[in-house]
Amino acid sequence: MLIEQAAYANRWRTVTPGAKALFAGCGLVAAFLAAATPWQAAAVTTCLALVTLVGAGIAPRLYLRVAAPALGFLAIGCLSLTYSLNFDSDSGGLSLAASASGRTQALETGARALTALAALLFLVLSTPLSDLIALLRRLQMPEILLDIMVLCYRTLFVFSAALRDIHTAQAARLGYAAPRLALRSSALLLAGLVGQIWQRAHALHLAAEARNGDGPLRFLAPPFRHARRDTTIAALAGLALIALAASARIAARWHPA
Amino acid sequence: MHIMEGFLPVEHALGWALASAPFVAAGIVSIRRTIRARPELRMLLGVAAAFTFVLSALKLPSVTGSCSHPTGTGLGAILFGPAAMAPIGAVVLLFQALLLAHGGLTTLGANLFSMAIVGPFAAAGVFRLTKGLGAPFALSIFLAASLADLATYVVTSLQLAWAFPDPVGGMAASFAKFAGIFAVTQVPLAISEGLLTVLIFNALARFNPQELRELRVTGQAESQA
Repeated sequence: MLIEQAAYANRWRTVTPGAKALFAGCGLVAAFLAAATPWQAAAVTTCLALVTLVGAGIAPRLYLRVAAPALGFLAIGCLSLTYSLNFDSDSGGLSLAASASGRTQALETGARALTALAALLFLVLSTPLSDLIALLRRLQMPEILLDIMVLCYRTLFVFSAALRDIHTAQAARLGYAAPRLALRSSALLLAGLVGQIWQRAHALHLAAEARNGDGPLRFLAPPFRHARRDTTIAALAGLALIALAASARIAARWHPA
Repeated sequence: MHIMEGFLPVEHALGWALASAPFVAAGIVSIRRTIRARPELRMLLGVAAAFTFVLSALKLPSVTGSCSHPTGTGLGAILFGPAAMAPIGAVVLLFQALLLAHGGLTTLGANLFSMAIVGPFAAAGVFRLTKGLGAPFALSIFLAASLADLATYVVTSLQLAWAFPDPVGGMAASFAKFAGIFAVTQVPLAISEGLLTVLIFNALARFNPQELRELRVTGQAESQA
């Protein structure tokens, strides 16, 4: 997974996750504040992208590859917002036409989504999921959800490896040579993995019982030096983002036209 | 079909999060009660969540010739029940946002409602109804998995139409627009996933009949068929 690679190898790996989550949260707030003013939204998006690329040291190509699926959805979504579906009562047919209000709505939505995506990418590309789970534990997330998250995170790589191995073995025997064969091979692959759900869960349960496991699964969180300093910097930077996003509104209030 | 990060206006993002919260809370309470009686299920849920996540990485040949990925909504709902799918779905959708940048944090509530609440309940409802009407097991599975996908896609289109009503035709025209665009991928996917789920259950009935009986998915006769 590209995001995991970047999250473990970036320059800000040792910055406390709370500070990075705080900055990303401020970025999301700024995305909603700046949506109606495209220039402010562009400025906030640029700041978030630069912080990720220059500050955390994420490779631009990796950044674009991770953002590509979401950008595809955004392009389709904005096109649908720009064009209106009209019913012609005379001919009884349907037609598409661009409207000014549709364009405004598409611009506002596109600006908000791009800024929010930049905030999300900052968080996920600079922070490993295990750190985020530890942060959610500190934020008092329900224990059962945390257990599902911990187990899911630790097992998904095992399942990914099993899926890859079985897929390679099937492909080597022409299991995906035709659509019909591919559907059958996919079903056999998934049925094999479903069977492993019980086997692996049973093995994990036995292992936990052998170690006197009596409930929640807890792991030691790595210590983060300078947590207070990092959080203060993140809070100030986040507030600056929010001020930048709201600058047009503030200016309009102080200098009404 | 995930709604991307930041796409929904703030009131819709918050509204869908509030609408999904009771289902997740009820699921947590139900799971907690079940785990107290059967502690081994704690591991099963985590492993099932990992399986659901990995499922979305599998490329599925679509009936139109293109490729898409299965959602696992119908499969999960039939195996583990719709109530358990809300917390499992919450974790899977959060992981998809954090590990793949699919979906998002602000749209988690809306995606959760369509994919982890409406989809699984539709699947479980259709499965029980068709089984109750005496339909063949394979047909029940196919309808449950396909209609769960279609329900998810219709709800997502409704969510988008409600958030962005068409300036000329209103919400109905907007729904037709979004549903029309996404139908290109979602309708073939629903049919493919229905067929795939039938094949999965055929294989499970052959190799894991005991588990299917324990989960009350099949009776003695069906697992021996």
